[in-house]
Amino acid sequence: MRLSVMITFRQVNKHFGSNHVLRDIRLHIEQGEVVVVIGPSGSGKSTLIRCINRMETVESGELSVNGVNVNDRRTDINKLRRNIGMVFQHFNLYPHMKVIDNITLAPIRVNGVPPKEARETALFYLEKVGIPEKADAYPSQLSGGQQQRVAIARGLAMKPDIMLFDEPTSALDPEMIGEVLDVMKTLAREGMTMIVVTHEMGFAREVADRVVFMDQGAIVEENEPEAFFSNPREERAKLFLSRLLHH
Amino acid sequence: MIDFALLFDYSEEYMEGLRNTLYASLIALAGSFMLGTIVAVLRMTPVRPLRWLGRAYVEFFRNIPLLLVVYIFFLGLPALGIILSGFVSGTIGLTVYTSAYIAEAIRAGIMAVPAGQSEAARSSGLTYIQTMRHVVLPQAIKIVVPPISNQFLNLVKNSSILGVVSGFDLMYYADIVNSETYQTVNALFMAALLYLLLTIPLSYATRLLEKRLARTG
Repeated sequence: MRLSVMITFRQVNKHFGSNHVLRDIRLHIEQGEVVVVIGPSGSGKSTLIRCINRMETVESGELSVNGVNVNDRRTDINKLRRNIGMVFQHFNLYPHMKVIDNITLAPIRVNGVPPKEARETALFYLEKVGIPEKADAYPSQLSGGQQQRVAIARGLAMKPDIMLFDEPTSALDPEMIGEVLDVMKTLAREGMTMIVVTHEMGFAREVADRVVFMDQGAIVEENEPEAFFSNPREERAKLFLSRLLHH
Repeated sequence: MIDFALLFDYSEEYMEGLRNTLYASLIALAGSFMLGTIVAVLRMTPVRPLRWLGRAYVEFFRNIPLLLVVYIFFLGLPALGIILSGFVSGTIGLTVYTSAYIAEAIRAGIMAVPAGQSEAARSSGLTYIQTMRHVVLPQAIKIVVPPISNQFLNLVKNSSILGVVSGFDLMYYADIVNSETYQTVNALFMAALLYLLLTIPLSYATRLLEKRLARTG
């Protein structure tokens, strides 16, 4: 069953010690939407998306994904995570495994896909991210951009409903950012539900259906990218954008 | 003067001792590695009582003398009606004692694997155990080879504890030879030579292994 609203935050709060990292978060994300989360560092962007697959727990409020309450003790978290791919800032590929094995590990072990089929699927996604020839390489033999593309293929191989991107280009050399963003753009066009934490404003402007601006743990402004970038309503958003432009 | 004739005159005793020392060492080596891995994983589970159990195990066996650990099995268990031979109780004691050190080495290795590795694995739906088995432990092993090889060398030497509980090991027979011939220095020197016969190849092999692991990065 597919619901049109995939992810719902209702009054979600979270602290790290005395630090209020998520303040009364309310957010609805629909199927096929591309939501880009921006804001200054420490504003809670990463924490926000890490709550979606319970890499972080929330303290109060309700968070549901595909109608399932993420923080309910009865929720089978591993089952929920099968449907949510995640891409990290530092790629986090498994260095002791070949690229192909990085990609097939979860499909085989979690979904019980036969190894041969998993391999074919992995090759399909490697093709999709543009590096089919690297199947038998080790991660250390790849450039940062290639590693991140493998990480995306690894996420896709589970055929998830949702992909989370936690600053996917922040650790990359500038000349490699484009190749990763291109893969993400293709995904977005194909209708993947994506939540992306990024500092790439060009990507947000071009690909996002919606921009969410966070500051000090709260969602300060939420709008379509064109309206947000050309005419931000909130002072803090204006300040943030003006600082970006001056760099 | 060292007289090698002793080694040949008592070759049967020395070979029997060498064989038993080798068996005890191999059994304890495999056993302590498996047990140590389990204890290390226990020490790091999210489940608090299990973590506490792992910690108690390590602190207990690491902080009492090996001789006492062996006595627990050799002298303590008979009080409960379980009677083990010197060889068996010595080998179990050695296994349990060494596993506490191995567990700590493995735990340090696991903690040296970046947190992002298990985050990536867990976020893809792998369970904690699967994450350990397929992602974290294979990487931790490389980090722990040097400290563990060290423990294995110690283990071979510590196996001489079997001599105290009539475990028919090298040390036991060296004592026998000594008491029959009164050639104390000679009898013990031969034992030392035979220990070196075990430990030097072991230390050489681990150095090779370390080099090889370093290559595959």
